[in-house]
Amino acid sequence: MRLEDYAHDAVACIRCANCKWIDQNYTRSHRFSKVCPINVRYGFDAYSGGGMLTIARAMLEGRLEFTPRLLDIVYKCTLCGACDVRCKRNLDIEVLLTVEALRSKVVQEGYGPLEPHKTITQKVKQTGNRYGSPNKKRLSWLPEGVTPGQKADVLYFVGCNSSFVQVEIALAAAKILKASGIPFTVLPDEWCCGQPLLTTGQEEAARGIVEHNIKAIEVSGASTVIASCAECYQTLKVKYPRFLDKKTEDMSFKVLHITEYAGQLVKSGALKLGGRANLKVTYHDPCHLGRLSEAWKPWHGVFGKFSIPDPPREMRRGTFGIYDPPRELLRSIPGLEIVEMERAKDQAWCCGAGGAVKDAFRDFALWTARDRLEEANLTGAEAIVSSCPWCEENLKDATGDNGKGMQIYDIVQLVANAI
Amino acid sequence: MSLPKEAYQALQSLVGEENVSNDPVICEAVRGGCAGINVWDKDVISPACVVLPKTTGEVQEIVLIANRYKLPYYPTSSSMHVIASARLPNTIAIDLKRMRGLEIDDKNMFAICESGVSSVELFAEVTKKGLWCMVPWCGGQASVVANTAVHGTAPSLYRFGFPHRRILATEWVLPNGELLNLGSASLLRDYFWGEGPGPDLRGILRGTLGHLGGMGVVTKMAVKLLPFQPERMEPMGISPVTALKIPEKRMKFFNITFPTYERAVEAIYEIGKCEIGAMVMIIASLFRYVAKARGKGTAAFWEEWSKVGDQVDWTDTFARVSLIGFTSEKQMIYEEQVLKDIVAEFGGKIREGRPVDESQFTSPDAISSFFVTGTFHPPTLVFDSLDAGLKTARRNVELRKKYKGVLAEDHGYPGWTFSVELGHMCYYEFLCYGDIEDKESLAKLELEIMQSDIELGGWPMFQDPNLLGPAWLNYHKHLRSLKEILDPHNLSNPPLPERLPWNVSPETIMKKGD
Repeated sequence: MRLEDYAHDAVACIRCANCKWIDQNYTRSHRFSKVCPINVRYGFDAYSGGGMLTIARAMLEGRLEFTPRLLDIVYKCTLCGACDVRCKRNLDIEVLLTVEALRSKVVQEGYGPLEPHKTITQKVKQTGNRYGSPNKKRLSWLPEGVTPGQKADVLYFVGCNSSFVQVEIALAAAKILKASGIPFTVLPDEWCCGQPLLTTGQEEAARGIVEHNIKAIEVSGASTVIASCAECYQTLKVKYPRFLDKKTEDMSFKVLHITEYAGQLVKSGALKLGGRANLKVTYHDPCHLGRLSEAWKPWHGVFGKFSIPDPPREMRRGTFGIYDPPRELLRSIPGLEIVEMERAKDQAWCCGAGGAVKDAFRDFALWTARDRLEEANLTGAEAIVSSCPWCEENLKDATGDNGKGMQIYDIVQLVANAI
Repeated sequence: MSLPKEAYQALQSLVGEENVSNDPVICEAVRGGCAGINVWDKDVISPACVVLPKTTGEVQEIVLIANRYKLPYYPTSSSMHVIASARLPNTIAIDLKRMRGLEIDDKNMFAICESGVSSVELFAEVTKKGLWCMVPWCGGQASVVANTAVHGTAPSLYRFGFPHRRILATEWVLPNGELLNLGSASLLRDYFWGEGPGPDLRGILRGTLGHLGGMGVVTKMAVKLLPFQPERMEPMGISPVTALKIPEKRMKFFNITFPTYERAVEAIYEIGKCEIGAMVMIIASLFRYVAKARGKGTAAFWEEWSKVGDQVDWTDTFARVSLIGFTSEKQMIYEEQVLKDIVAEFGGKIREGRPVDESQFTSPDAISSFFVTGTFHPPTLVFDSLDAGLKTARRNVELRKKYKGVLAEDHGYPGWTFSVELGHMCYYEFLCYGDIEDKESLAKLELEIMQSDIELGGWPMFQDPNLLGPAWLNYHKHLRSLKEILDPHNLSNPPLPERLPWNVSPETIMKKGD
C-alpha cells in the first residue's frame, strides 16, 4: 500500500470525532458509548482514527519523522475498523486504509514492524505457520474421514490457531461439515493466511504466502473456501484480492465463513440441530467477520474540483458485514437464548487482539477484552460466543474478575454440540 | 517548539507522565480543525504539548503553570472546532476528555456534566428517566459543556430554547487559575440553578458567540432538562443508514409543502403562537439530495443534484414539523389537528412522514453535509426573526451569483432555517460548497455576506466580534476590557474572545486591537 494513495483522505478529516464514538442512534449509556479502544485507553487524539489521518497528512507533507511514539500509535491500533464505519456514516474518507497505509509506510522506510512482529514473520516464512511448529503437524487434529487433498468442491481453510492451538474449533467445524453430508477437503500444505504480515504493513514479505495459498486452493479444484477463523476469512476474501488489485468477485474461488455456510445448510435442511443448549448467550462480532468483511473493490482515480472523485469511488462502509448469519445460526439451536450487548454488529467493541496488537502489546489487548467482558456480563448472559479463534482466545486470556465465571465459546462448538 | 523544561516537568508531576506529552506526533494530531481544508485553519500550528487532566483541580494547576511561565493554552474536548487549535509557539492544549463526570437529578430536572461528557451520552441517560436534552446539529459526540457554552444549535431549540438559557450552576477555571462557581453552586455547592447572588456572570460565557476558550476553562456545568414522552425510541438499521423507530402514538413527523417561502414563514409563526410542535424547520432541497446520497458516495450526490438543474421550483418551500405528545396521546392528537388547520389556512399540503428518525433526536448530524465536497463553508449564520431570516435568504441568493465557479452549483437554493423558541427567533444558514483551492474568494464571500447582513439590519452571529463590533456599539472593546481583567497575560486561547483567530495574523495575535 502507498500512503500517497490516501493523501486526499488524510486531509479530508474534519475532526468531528465521530471516529471515537458508536453510532449515536445506538448509544444506550454513558459507560459504553465509545468505540475506539486505543483512544479510550491512551486518551490523546493521536490514538484515534482522526488523529492518525492528521498524522498521515503531516507525514505526507514532510512534517513528521519516524519516532518510537509514532510506531507505538500506529501499531497499537487494533485495525478494528470501528472508526472507519463511524466516519463513513457521514463522510467519504478511507480511515482504516489510511492507517494501514501508514503501517506500510513505516515498513517501506525501514522502521517497522515491531520486534514481536518480526519474530512471527520469521516463523511464518520459515515454517508456514505463526507458531514456528513443523507445518506437517498442522493436520494432526484431522478426524477420520477427512482426507487432505481429496477432490471436493468445498475446501475448509483451517488457519493456524485452530490447527495448532484450539484444535477443538477445527474439530467442531469438521463435524458440522461432515454432518451436512457434503464432501469437503482440506489443503495438504496449508500455510498461514498471511494476516500477521499483511496487517503489519509487510505486503512484500507476504507475497510468497499469498501466492502459495491461492495456488494451493486453485489446485484443489474447490470453488468454495470455508473458514472458521474470521481473520483467515477476511484475509482470503478481502486482503488477497486487495493484494492482487482485483475485485473479490474476480477471484477464482468464493470465500464463506462457516457461519454463513452452516446457516445455509440449516435452512436447506442438510444440517439438523436437535440438541438442546439451555444457555443464555451474547454474541461478540469479530471485526474481521463483521464490519471488515465486505468484498474488495479496487479504485484508481483522481479527485477533481470540489473533491469529486473520478471515477466514482465505491466505499466499503461495513453495511454488508456478516452480522446476521451467526445470530440466525445460534437461534437455530434449541433452547439457546441470545441477548445483545450495547455495542453490537457494526458498532461492536473490538476484542483487542486484532491488528497484531496482542503480539506486541499483550496488556493492552487484554485491557480491551476486559472491557468487552464487562459489557457482556451486564447483559445477564451466561456465555459470550464469538466466531473467531483469536477473539475467543483473547477473551479467555482476559477472564479474571471481569469474567465473573462467564463461559466463552466459539460458535462452531455450540453448533457441533447441537448436532 | 518546546516548553520550558520546568513547565513540562510540572505538568508531568501534576497529571502523571502518561497524561501529558510533548511528542511531535501527539501534538501534530491535534493540529488543524474542522471542515477539512478550510479558510478557517489558516496559520494553525501544533501545540507544544497536550495534557489530559482528570479533575478540576488539575485544570486549575495547569492554568497556573501556564500563567507562571507565560504560556498560551486552549481547552478542547470533542475537538471539532478549529478554534481549538494552536496558533502561537509554546501553546498547551488542554484536552478535557478524561473529565467524564455525569450526575443526573431527575427529580429537579438537571444534569451536572464535566467537559468530557458528550451530548448523546447525556441523551441516552436522561431519556431512561423520562427526560430530554438537546443533541446538537454538529453531532451527539459534541461535549455538552462546550456546545452549550457556544450556542450549539439543534432542531430541538424550537422547544428547548437557546443553549445559554439552559446553563445552570457552572464551575469555571478563570484564566488566572482562580476557581469561580456560578449560580447556586457559588454558595451552596449545589447545581440546581443558574442565578446566584449579584450580577450574573454567565453573560461572560455567552454573548453572541461565547468565549470559545478565551476566558479560561469551564470544567463543569449543570444543564436544564425537560420532560419527554415516556416511550423508548428503538434503534434500527446498519451504518450508514441508522435511525430511531419512534413511538407512533407519541411522536410524529409531518412534511409540508407551502406555495411560497413567505407563506411557510407565516405558518411557522402561527405554529409557534399556538404552542404546538417539538421541532419546526424549513428544509433546503439541497439537504434532501444530500440525505438521499448518504452512504452512496459523493458522485451519487452530484449525479442527482446536477440532474435537478434549474427545474427546482424554489417558490415551493418544504417544511418539516415534528410533534411530540409530551404529556399524553391526547396532546398528540390535539397538536396534529391544530397543525393541519394551520397548514390549510396557509395553503400548504401536509403528509405524515415515516415513524423513523434519522437526523433529529440523537443524530442530527450536520456532519453528513460535508461528504459532498469534503468541506463546506457556511458564511451566513443568522439568529434573527423569521422575517429577517427570509430577507437574508433572498439577498444571499443574489449575492452568491457573483461567486459562480468558486461555489459549487446550488441552483439558487435560498438556505435553510428553523424556528427557535416557539417562533421568537430563527436560525438561518446557507450552505456553500466552495472550491477549497480558492480560499481567498471564500474569505471574501464570508466578509461580503456579513456586511450585507448588517446592512439589512440583521443579526449575523458567529462572526468575528472585531469585524462586527464597529457596527454593534463597539462591543468588541468591552470584550477586550473583560479579557484584560480576567486574563491579564492574554494566555487563554488568544485572540479570543475579541477576535476570531483566522482573521488575525500570528504576529498580531498578542497585540492589542484598535
